[in-house]
Amino acid sequence: MEILSLLGHGFAIALTPTNLMYCFLGSFIGTAIGVLPGLGPPATIALLLPITYGIPPTSAVILLAGIFYGAMYGGSTTSILLNIPGEAASVVTCLDGYAMARQGRAGAALAVSAVGSFIAGTVGVVGLMVLAPPLAAFALRFGAPEYAALLVLGLMMVGYLGGGSMTKGFIMAALGLLLGMVGLDPIMGSPRFTYGVFKLSEGFEFVLVAMGLFGIGEVLVNVERSVAPEVLRTKIRGLLASREEWRAAAPSLARGSLLGFGIGVLPGGGAVISSFVSYALEKKLSRHPERFGQGAIEGVAAPEAANNAAATSSFIPLLTLGIPGNASIALIFAALLIHGIRPGPLLVSQQPEVFWGLIASMYIGNAMLLVLNLPLIRFWVRLLEVPYAILAPFIVVFVLVGAYSVNNSVFDVGTTIAFGALGWLIRKLDFEPAPLVLAMILGPQLEAALRRSLIYSRGDLLVFFERPIAATLMALALLMLLSPVLRRLLARRLRGIVGAPGRD
Amino acid sequence: MARRDGIAALVLLLVAGAVSHQAAALPFGSVTNPGPGFVPWWTGLTLAGLALVLATQALRALRAPGARRARAVPAGDWRRVVRLLVALGLYALALDPLGYPISTFLLVLLMRRPTSGGALLSGFALALLASGGTYLLFAVWLGVPLPPGPLLR
Repeated sequence: MEILSLLGHGFAIALTPTNLMYCFLGSFIGTAIGVLPGLGPPATIALLLPITYGIPPTSAVILLAGIFYGAMYGGSTTSILLNIPGEAASVVTCLDGYAMARQGRAGAALAVSAVGSFIAGTVGVVGLMVLAPPLAAFALRFGAPEYAALLVLGLMMVGYLGGGSMTKGFIMAALGLLLGMVGLDPIMGSPRFTYGVFKLSEGFEFVLVAMGLFGIGEVLVNVERSVAPEVLRTKIRGLLASREEWRAAAPSLARGSLLGFGIGVLPGGGAVISSFVSYALEKKLSRHPERFGQGAIEGVAAPEAANNAAATSSFIPLLTLGIPGNASIALIFAALLIHGIRPGPLLVSQQPEVFWGLIASMYIGNAMLLVLNLPLIRFWVRLLEVPYAILAPFIVVFVLVGAYSVNNSVFDVGTTIAFGALGWLIRKLDFEPAPLVLAMILGPQLEAALRRSLIYSRGDLLVFFERPIAATLMALALLMLLSPVLRRLLARRLRGIVGAPGRD
Repeated sequence: MARRDGIAALVLLLVAGAVSHQAAALPFGSVTNPGPGFVPWWTGLTLAGLALVLATQALRALRAPGARRARAVPAGDWRRVVRLLVALGLYALALDPLGYPISTFLLVLLMRRPTSGGALLSGFALALLASGGTYLLFAVWLGVPLPPGPLLR
């Protein structure tokens, strides 16, 4: 009952005209960037972060969260109609969504995707609402060793689940940790790696790093590649799926929602991985796996449900533990910090208007997205006709103004451009910038918790293995670190058993 | 890709060496009372270890059959990137003396070539719209104190 009363309070906040406007704006911008390839949610959130400085914190977080989950909706439209994934989380939707469109079933694919996204998004919000408060209460029992162990596990997961090579993920995380160390040390306040530059004594502004890496960096990558995509257009005949199609899609929607919710909670997990895993699961469970890739409705329903549920559940570690699990959430973390709000176990009890206002806005936002997506499909497709040559200068100018407005400083503009160049180089070398950004934000917390734990235990490293919560988290982190070696050993052993003569 | 990984590993080793060297100059403390240099030194060492792992993986991939023909990332026109970065660098230098409207106008005009190589007239119109429109939005409407420069001072 208490949850319902708190949710009612949240709706009272989210339904004010101002917050409704920010919720709509976030959902609308999110859908637009989900449609447009080459501009992801982290870049857009970084771009709009400086604009949120002047608005109340609850409105700011409602706007930025709307962009994040709105992008998951928008990405599917172009995946289905044009075989162009506007968002990384919608790549897998292309496989069956576009095949359905070629068979003249685009309307069914779009309807299942939009309604599935709405259902999964709502499941995600319910899960967030029910799980976050008890988890936050549990996290209040954490001391420095537990936090250090949790942050170590978070970093391991970012490297492990971040996509691509695990070594490269860890390298980016180590670089992010080092970037987070520039400035004053968190315990004694002595300067580190500042090279006599006064501006660096406060460290690199996270917003500038994110705007450079994701905003300028993405423009540079697109400018280098600038090849016009070949588009095969298709006709949309109605926006209804048949009863059989709904019946086939329903179990996949349910499984995708639950799986996406679970994966979204993990640091480094999130929408992209959940969409791939749920697609693989559906194919494995299907009696006719050969239909996948040929226009199976389950191949659209499951990944779309999974990426929406994951987008919502990735707020859980942020709002309860103060740990952002992906780059977009890290930027929302930064936005809250700028407004003087520290996400963590105390947020639910000390800033209920932010927590419950956000939850209520997610219900409203999901409903808005359903209305925005289906009737406006033709508008979203036309948006793709805006040439990148027009879009790019505006993105760059927005980033540069944003960078300048942080401290009204040209030095910050230069810093952002430098990180833009780094972002391009990182991608060029096939590294992912997300682990760097996450480690940069987690680094100072990890260092403070680690050093406090060592001071408290008088240098006894067993402090991380003697306390049950810390020990469990550390064991998971070690397991994750050693997983490639364990996998190789297991494979060798299995090969030995299968290949050994006289065993059969 | 393996060659690039090898080069990246070498650069990372140098970075790790520089970090550890500078961290060693900071008060290190001890395990019982870690100082400001403690965590950076260990992080530098970890980075060095990871760079060595990457170098080993790159060497192995280079020795694999057909490795020299494999190319993971499609090549683009890197000269466009360099041109845009130069334009952005000049923008940062010109922002204070020339002011926001003029420097942004010139940046967008310069950006037309790296992004599309489009016609001068449409580039001129786009530059005017981007600089004037964003100045009105940010400086006039949102009150961001963008440098006005000689044009609006």
